[in-house]
Amino acid sequence: MRSNKGLGFIVTVIVILFLSYLAVNGLNLFGFEILGVEGIRYGTDIKGGVNAVLYPDTENPSKEELEIAKTIIGKRLDAKQIYDRELTTEPQNGRIIVSIPWGKGETDFNPQATIDDIGKTALLTFQEVDETKVDERGVFLPTGRIVIQGTDVEDTGVVKDPETGRMVVALDLSEEGAIKFEEGTGRLVNQRIAIFMDDQFISAPTVSQKITGGSAVIQGYFTPQEAGDLASIIKSGALPFSLEAKQVNSISPSLGENALSVIVTAGIVSLILVFLYMSLYYRLPGLIASIALLGLVAGQLLLISWFGITLTLPGIAGIILSIGTGVDANVIINERILEELRSGKTLGAAVDRGFKRALTAILDGNLTTLIAAAILYMFGTGPIKGFAVTLFLGVTLSFLTAVAASRTMTKSVGNMQIAKNKWLYGA
Amino acid sequence: MFDFIGKRKWFFILSILIMFAGIAGLLINGIQLDIQFEGGTLMQIEMNDGDFETSRAEEVFYEAVNKTATAQKLQTINAEDNQTIYLLQLRIASSETLTDEERTEAVDALRKEFNIGFDAGIEMQSVEPFIGRELRNKGAIAALYASLLIILYIWWRFRVMNLSAAITAVISLFHDLMVMFTFYVIFKFPLNESFIAAILTILGYSINGTIVIYDRIRENSKLLRKASTAELVNTSINQTMGRTVNTAVTTLLCVLAVYIFAYYYNIQSIKEFILPLIIGIISGVYSSVFISGPLWVLWKERQQHKVVEKRA
Repeated sequence: MRSNKGLGFIVTVIVILFLSYLAVNGLNLFGFEILGVEGIRYGTDIKGGVNAVLYPDTENPSKEELEIAKTIIGKRLDAKQIYDRELTTEPQNGRIIVSIPWGKGETDFNPQATIDDIGKTALLTFQEVDETKVDERGVFLPTGRIVIQGTDVEDTGVVKDPETGRMVVALDLSEEGAIKFEEGTGRLVNQRIAIFMDDQFISAPTVSQKITGGSAVIQGYFTPQEAGDLASIIKSGALPFSLEAKQVNSISPSLGENALSVIVTAGIVSLILVFLYMSLYYRLPGLIASIALLGLVAGQLLLISWFGITLTLPGIAGIILSIGTGVDANVIINERILEELRSGKTLGAAVDRGFKRALTAILDGNLTTLIAAAILYMFGTGPIKGFAVTLFLGVTLSFLTAVAASRTMTKSVGNMQIAKNKWLYGA
Repeated sequence: MFDFIGKRKWFFILSILIMFAGIAGLLINGIQLDIQFEGGTLMQIEMNDGDFETSRAEEVFYEAVNKTATAQKLQTINAEDNQTIYLLQLRIASSETLTDEERTEAVDALRKEFNIGFDAGIEMQSVEPFIGRELRNKGAIAALYASLLIILYIWWRFRVMNLSAAITAVISLFHDLMVMFTFYVIFKFPLNESFIAAILTILGYSINGTIVIYDRIRENSKLLRKASTAELVNTSINQTMGRTVNTAVTTLLCVLAVYIFAYYYNIQSIKEFILPLIIGIISGVYSSVFISGPLWVLWKERQQHKVVEKRA
């Protein structure tokens, strides 16, 4: 044991300091990038932005219908150049949740109008093409000369063309639609027909021959995924499915970021207070506990950033509670060591017994909290889930740092001559 | 050594008094639900300055959408440049929750009337009543399942103490919930998501405190075989006092620091969350020390009493 005097302590401290550095500054090594706090996604309640729960105006929408609606909303947000967003369907509740955080430097984003817009029914049209009417990217603009529209399409599907082996989108038209389509395709052989959703261009297949009988295929270089998306968009155009936001929460970025910067400052101040209290009260083990706690906080921020967890206010509550359990675990250990020292044990024996006897209390406490977090995650809704995720991560990390890191450091330091003074342990 | 068990009567009385205060408060004040649970619409608009009439805002709003709103003037401080931000807050009751279009119309009308720029911050929260109900029910179900599993786990891990210990542990959690609830109804704070987050945090904190004491009872039950249940529990509570006090002090230090910051900058969302947390931490420490252990002793003594009676 004499050979590794202080080694474990030094290694652990270096690891924790490195993790803290990573958490604050991130790292970019040979193109391999690790983002620290910079990479954390904040929920709309912190960063600002809009969060809406959309309900269809029909009763009991099916899972497929919701997925289609989700695809359409995605396309509409693309058209508005809003790419940073979260869209989730909840088939059991029959609703779609949209969450759009405020982008950096954005000033003209109007969340209210955005939500209002995306809920409207999509109107799908097949239009004649005017080759001279294109925008700057070479995409066809709507001409208003409609061949057929969404309500004329009865069903769509994705099939593999047996001759070319490519994926094509098959259309099944209504009787009326078939007549219009026959007339249109007869007139436009070897020309293009453009498909639009509202004013957004989807694709422009070329008419190879006059199409009769009410079924048609759209050919193109589609991947199965793209063909599926197109099929669902065309089908949904025929769906009378308007969405109404029954719950909207939009927070302005100035107010949101204000809350965040206050939380961060307050968090740093309270961590320093804890470190001071622990170090003054328990002396050496208190200082070690503070280092371990720093590791807990850094580790938690890094994991949240890496896993891409969206951090919300309840999520911060989960972090606070897990730091609380981390502090508590260290207090339990240090109290036990003190007790053993007071009963006249030698330093080494007191540290060994202190950790061993504190373990059951810490383990039971942490496991109970983990069970509660898991249940809350399974049965809870949005905010409660956010709380459960950070709590679960934090308690796991708190066990690691309080037990493993603190123990390695305390034992390693205990081997050094200068640390063999009971005063340093508060006795 | 302080005699926790001998004085338990007084601690139980204090807790019961707080709960009665809560029930009285509930009967007098009723429960205030925030719009997350009740439904309704809440708008906050950043104004150019503090020089505007709330009554005019109410009129403009009524003309725009034909619904009634209650307007209020609020202010907060920007943490970056210490400038005061003035806000117009409009609250619309759940029976008149605004639709998508009405929200847009109302904001447009107010923009025109008060010359609000397009870069002004606008906060909007709108919840249909049925969603609020669902949120409440789901939260309650999640909490119920979590307590059931906690009972099972404690029962198994502390089997020397029997199922009764798990039940008294959950009673002390219920105690904390009631104390926080009492605080809310007496001070007429509306119940919202922050309340749920605070309660969850406190339940986790409080059960931890109880487990540390139970852990000591479990350990001492092997060492102090001749001691009575009362002596066993009292010794354990006293031995863990150092932990109880130090953990309470450090956590209170943390939340007080956060509260002072939030109070200074007047950040409503943080204040709303931290204040119940402070009450909850105090209640959690109290219930771990004065309720769960002492209540378990009472239960045990009643049981033994019954056994003796049967034999006689």
